[in-house]
Amino acid sequence: MFRNIGKLAVTGLVLATVAAPSASAQDKVKIGAIYPLSGNAASAGNSSKAAIELAVEIVNGNFPDLKDLPLATTEGLPNLKGAKIEVIFADNQGTPAAGQNQTLRLITEEKVHALLGAYQSGITVTASAMAERHGIPFLTPESVASDLTERGFKWFFRSTPVAADFARSYSELLREQKAAGRKIETIALVNENTEYGNSVSKVIKDVFIKDGIPITTQISYSANTTDVQPQVLQLKEKNPDVVLFISYTSDAILYAKTMKDLDWKPAIMIADNAGFNDPSFVRTSGALVEGLINRSAFAAGKPGSISAVINEMFKKKTGNDLDDPSARAMQGLLILADAINRAGSTEPAKIQEAMKATDLKAEQLVTGYKGVKFDEKGQNVLASSLITQMTGGKYVPVWPKESATAEIVLPYKGW
Amino acid sequence: MQHRFFWIAVGVLALAYPILTMPFPVYQRLGALVLLAAIGASAWNVVGGYAGQVSVGHAIFFGIGAYSAVLGYHYLGLPPILGVPLGMIVCIAIAAVIGVPTLKLSGHYFSMATIAVAELVRVLVPTFDSLGGAQGLSGPTLPRTVLDLSFTSAMPYYYLFLTVLVAILFVTWRIENSRMGFYLRAIKDSERAARSLGVEAGRYKLYAYMLSAAMTAMAGGLYLTMIGFVDPESGFGILISVKMLIMAALGGAGVLFGPLVGALILVPLEEISNSLLGGKGAGITYVVYGAIIIIIARFLPNGLLALLKPTQVKPADAPNGSPVGAGEKHAA
Repeated sequence: MFRNIGKLAVTGLVLATVAAPSASAQDKVKIGAIYPLSGNAASAGNSSKAAIELAVEIVNGNFPDLKDLPLATTEGLPNLKGAKIEVIFADNQGTPAAGQNQTLRLITEEKVHALLGAYQSGITVTASAMAERHGIPFLTPESVASDLTERGFKWFFRSTPVAADFARSYSELLREQKAAGRKIETIALVNENTEYGNSVSKVIKDVFIKDGIPITTQISYSANTTDVQPQVLQLKEKNPDVVLFISYTSDAILYAKTMKDLDWKPAIMIADNAGFNDPSFVRTSGALVEGLINRSAFAAGKPGSISAVINEMFKKKTGNDLDDPSARAMQGLLILADAINRAGSTEPAKIQEAMKATDLKAEQLVTGYKGVKFDEKGQNVLASSLITQMTGGKYVPVWPKESATAEIVLPYKGW
Repeated sequence: MQHRFFWIAVGVLALAYPILTMPFPVYQRLGALVLLAAIGASAWNVVGGYAGQVSVGHAIFFGIGAYSAVLGYHYLGLPPILGVPLGMIVCIAIAAVIGVPTLKLSGHYFSMATIAVAELVRVLVPTFDSLGGAQGLSGPTLPRTVLDLSFTSAMPYYYLFLTVLVAILFVTWRIENSRMGFYLRAIKDSERAARSLGVEAGRYKLYAYMLSAAMTAMAGGLYLTMIGFVDPESGFGILISVKMLIMAALGGAGVLFGPLVGALILVPLEEISNSLLGGKGAGITYVVYGAIIIIIARFLPNGLLALLKPTQVKPADAPNGSPVGAGEKHAA
């Protein structure tokens, strides 16, 4: 009987050792990408994967339409004798442990030269810690938890804007409107009461106070609610000039409907991405929120612009418009490719140096950042969001002026 | 003699594994992960296997263990490993509180109650900012001292986990051969029969539950020292409870080495299937898990190790006989 256990154990071990793949070829630049390809964030992860694959096609091929985009018109990386980029995807399965295991595998087995990922902030924490210990550059194009860049890491970079950047965009827009003579005295903040709503509303409150346009009313509510009448009635009674919503999808739909039912609307209505950007919100309630102001790191700009061309390419590949997180992931790969090309080497230390020297301008980007430049903590100091507006059932970029395809139309029209 | 030979070989192999896999860090780490999973599943086995009280809420204790380790670091700057004993004590207390009412329930009702309590905790934890909210807490990412146990290589974790697993298996083995072990098996076979013969079933089930909780907390604390991060889903998620159960059931619930055998099969299967196919977004791991649950339920209700013991009387063969058999053991 024990011989059988022995067989079992030995088979396990043999399986484990034999499956170790052999060393890889050196003529390619390998980038590891850790995304949730299964589990409850799989749809977002697979969309990011498609966007990253498109970015690889752009870097490896020749696309004269995209001449402003670095590396688009050269095949591969010119400083590395035209070496092609290869991305190796790994599934983080939505768990921090799997994220870390896969990072180790990408580093030690696939011998990747740089890493990209990992969508969920909690997984970026563990995956980037593994990269830090092995001294491999790690770029997160989308995880926003504020403490990620506070860990004293030397190999960690973040290109996405964080909550403070969104808050500054809203504040700038409102102050511009105020300077133009619009009445902005009272501002209400309506937020769902879990981590997302609480943390973002805290940051917005702080930024707004500093900028001299304090929030006058705050309403917290549970996103699982089936009725938002009390909240809307409260708004109707206070009648603020500006309302800012931080909501998930089903509650966003409820607000749009209830505000119409109770016939109340503010002069300016702003939504912080999330639920209000969900395609299902746009489909069901887009017609009820004409003139709603929102944010996005990506919006397809004027025909012929980089963002418009890329949106078309993405649509051809997947059938969908390029969404905000996927566009940020795509931008992440382009940032890494640019740095590796400038490094002229696949040595991690040289890539790290080149990442630190990154200086991309707004017109060289897919996303609507003001540029890409990392501070000593690895945060992109030029990260910012575009402000979009619901116009005829679709969000169009209206601010800042350089990326706008339409003028901002106020007051808020609603239904 | 053959037995002794076998065990020496297993021992040498277990000790040499991280050295043999030195050139393959992923497989070295896989060894540590197998041991960690085996610790959790062996902890579950005490109450779920031996006492037959199928808890599907052990993630509570795993999560508390992980959170105790990280909270000590977060608030007091302690090395996470020092939080592990604290987590074990807290879990013993909590197990007593949960166990007294829920262990009165039998069969599926107990399992459902444990799921309910665990889910309650999972939903509540994100509402406390002091526990890191929904975002979770991370341990020391860059080691300050060696006590932080923050290593690049998996080898130190491997030996740490191996020591803990051996200790847990030793304790379990002692229990298995003690009066309490006989009581627990008697309770598993037929609680009513055990009670009628004078076994204080409630008390012994509670003891087993508390011991199992403490061991599970240890698994949670060790998980945190290795992974360095916990959030409500990775600490209290239902999948953690389910994995402990499946590993023990696959190897053999209520068998000393059952959970270890289960972990030896499932963890490599999970990691290898994810490494080979995960990048394609196949999510094949969960398909494999589902298939294994069905196979165990249909063909192997007593686990793989039961295949190796053809002489054992299966409860199904002797519906009336086995409780009496267990009672006799107790009487002896």
